[in-house]
Amino acid sequence: MSLLDALSTPRLRWDGRHPNTVLVSLSLIMLAAFWSLDVVSMAPNRIVQGTSYGALEALGWPGALLATLLLSFIGILAWQPSPRHYRALLAAVMTLMALMPVGLIASSYLLIDPELPQARLGLGAAYWVVLFVLLLCLIEIRLRLKLTRLWPTLLLCGVALVWWLCATLWLDSLALVQEFKARDRQFLRAIGQHVTLVGAAVSISVVVGLVLAMLMRRYARLQKSAFAVLNFLQTIPSLALFGLLLAPLAWLAANVPLLGQLGVSGIGTTPALIALIAYSLLPMVRNTYIALEEVSPDTLEAAKGMGMRAGQRFWQVRLPLALPVLLEGVRITTVQAIGLTAVAALIGAGGLGTFIFQGLGQAAMDMVLLGALPILMLALVVDAGLGALAEALRPGGTR
Amino acid sequence: MIELSHVSKRFGEETAVDDISLRVPKGKFCALVGTSGCGKSTTLRMINRLIEHSEGDIILDGQAIEVYDPVKLRRRIGYVIQHTGLFPHWNVARNIGLVPRLLKWSAADVQGRVEELMDLLGLPVGEFAHKYPHQLSGGQAQRVGVARALAADPDILLMDEPFGALDPITREKLQDELAKLQARLHKTVVFVTHDMDEALKLADHLVVMREGRIVQQGSPLALLQQPADSFVESLLGGLERGLKQAALTRVKDHMTSMGPTLPAQSRIPADFSLRQALSMMLRDHSDRLTVVDQHDVPIGELSLRRIIKEAQLDKGSARE
Repeated sequence: MSLLDALSTPRLRWDGRHPNTVLVSLSLIMLAAFWSLDVVSMAPNRIVQGTSYGALEALGWPGALLATLLLSFIGILAWQPSPRHYRALLAAVMTLMALMPVGLIASSYLLIDPELPQARLGLGAAYWVVLFVLLLCLIEIRLRLKLTRLWPTLLLCGVALVWWLCATLWLDSLALVQEFKARDRQFLRAIGQHVTLVGAAVSISVVVGLVLAMLMRRYARLQKSAFAVLNFLQTIPSLALFGLLLAPLAWLAANVPLLGQLGVSGIGTTPALIALIAYSLLPMVRNTYIALEEVSPDTLEAAKGMGMRAGQRFWQVRLPLALPVLLEGVRITTVQAIGLTAVAALIGAGGLGTFIFQGLGQAAMDMVLLGALPILMLALVVDAGLGALAEALRPGGTR
Repeated sequence: MIELSHVSKRFGEETAVDDISLRVPKGKFCALVGTSGCGKSTTLRMINRLIEHSEGDIILDGQAIEVYDPVKLRRRIGYVIQHTGLFPHWNVARNIGLVPRLLKWSAADVQGRVEELMDLLGLPVGEFAHKYPHQLSGGQAQRVGVARALAADPDILLMDEPFGALDPITREKLQDELAKLQARLHKTVVFVTHDMDEALKLADHLVVMREGRIVQQGSPLALLQQPADSFVESLLGGLERGLKQAALTRVKDHMTSMGPTLPAQSRIPADFSLRQALSMMLRDHSDRLTVVDQHDVPIGELSLRRIIKEAQLDKGSARE
């Protein structure tokens, strides 16, 4: 199950006579949020608390009207669903997402005094609610149209490109953009650190996971104790594990000169990596083990009976058949590691978590967002990408 | 030729196969029949060393099977199992070409052989070569299973309830095709089944097993004429036995030349079975049939009285 699939309903029928209640209610929720919650907030500088503005003030009559029309359009189309209407709905959702930054550009012209170069625009609750609900609509439409996961992902990438273009070219006053501009070098380095840490932790646990799972298959006794240890590791809160590693690693670094030279220390990358691997091993080993075990015994019996050697059976039959489930394990592990790495910033391992904790310390929510949003995006991209890969690798296109 | 002498297999305390001896001459079709858990599958799997036997000798073409490398031995023996065991991630052509590729045939040879076999088993190459196992019906999948087993042209074919999971109509069709195939290819076949009709239809040599032992073995007719005990008799269908025996006998073996009386109304081709002839007599309320050749020309006649008399004689001679 992918994150995008989490809300899927197992059986869907075409039924033109009944309205799609899911989409109709989502449309109503968006309309209510748009008109009752604040759309943007404006602050003259970084320190002062911003003032909130509703739809009319933020977008003006034409903007508010356009948004209302588009949002109601979703509900109206969903009232009499048909394949054509669903395609129109997909277009409407995508248009709304792509128009969201344009709305921000409009409010920056309407609300920001050109005399105040420090003034900054913040995203209001309505913006977040509408964005979130639009993503829910996208899942529902994808299921109704029976699209593969690839298409919505590509469309979302297009939307992200529009957002990025608008942000760099016209949205200097957006608080998020200002936070980014103030520390763009730091930001790129943090992303690099984050990805490196996740990549290293996941690739090490893939190798260790595979070896452990294969050992477990050979020595049945190992299986219980290994899973017990891995389960136990999983129950330690992440912060506690970082703390637990501090003392022994500091001692090692001080007493074993070689390790010290290699950069091992009580804080920083080493403990972060160790903790990440410790957490990654359970989902990795569990999925690898199950993947290898659930290959049909008939198939393996036939492989043996046909005269395939043990190595041939493993590489040509067992592993390829296990690959989709194994990749699910990699996907779960990676998404989990992307989130956990944020906490690693606390022990000086760097990464995007740095902004989250700095922002929390300075009560600067936009800076927290600067760390949190890329983590979210990274997780979604990895989730969709590896999910699509696992889907593509299903044997002979079986589902 | 396959020869088992005093072969036993023990799993710990339990004896799965107990001192069995049997011989399958080259080109013959041997069926192992029995209820589930009687050791017939174990016996089969000992021949390609998927299970190693505990005692006795298994001899293949004059050599004890322990002499062979198990992997090389298995590549020389075709193997078909009940749920096909096709590789779901390989298409039909690749599945069939497995053993030739393991034997390092050239790509062109493998392809040629795969097409030849698909042709032989009635799977049009254009339609099926690139399909995956999950796109096939049960019957089609098992045809691929048989093609895969025949790919490297092995002398020996082991079949473990190959048609057990199919519906009755498909099963019968595949049985007929296998019989035709065997008439052409003359493989040495060991065939495991719990379906006595299937065994009677296909086998030259029938081996009935129970609790790891051989209860009786012989030709299908010999078993039908004289079952060793009530177990074999019940497997053979009890009261239906007579008809089963009739199904194995051709009309032409019991017909007489045309008598002085007028030809009977009902006509039956000479290569039909006695069972079909009896059914026709019942249907047409007649105790005589006119036997015709393939051009519908009368060549003799079949009378109920004579069939019964000859059956008595057969039984008498079998007793002696």
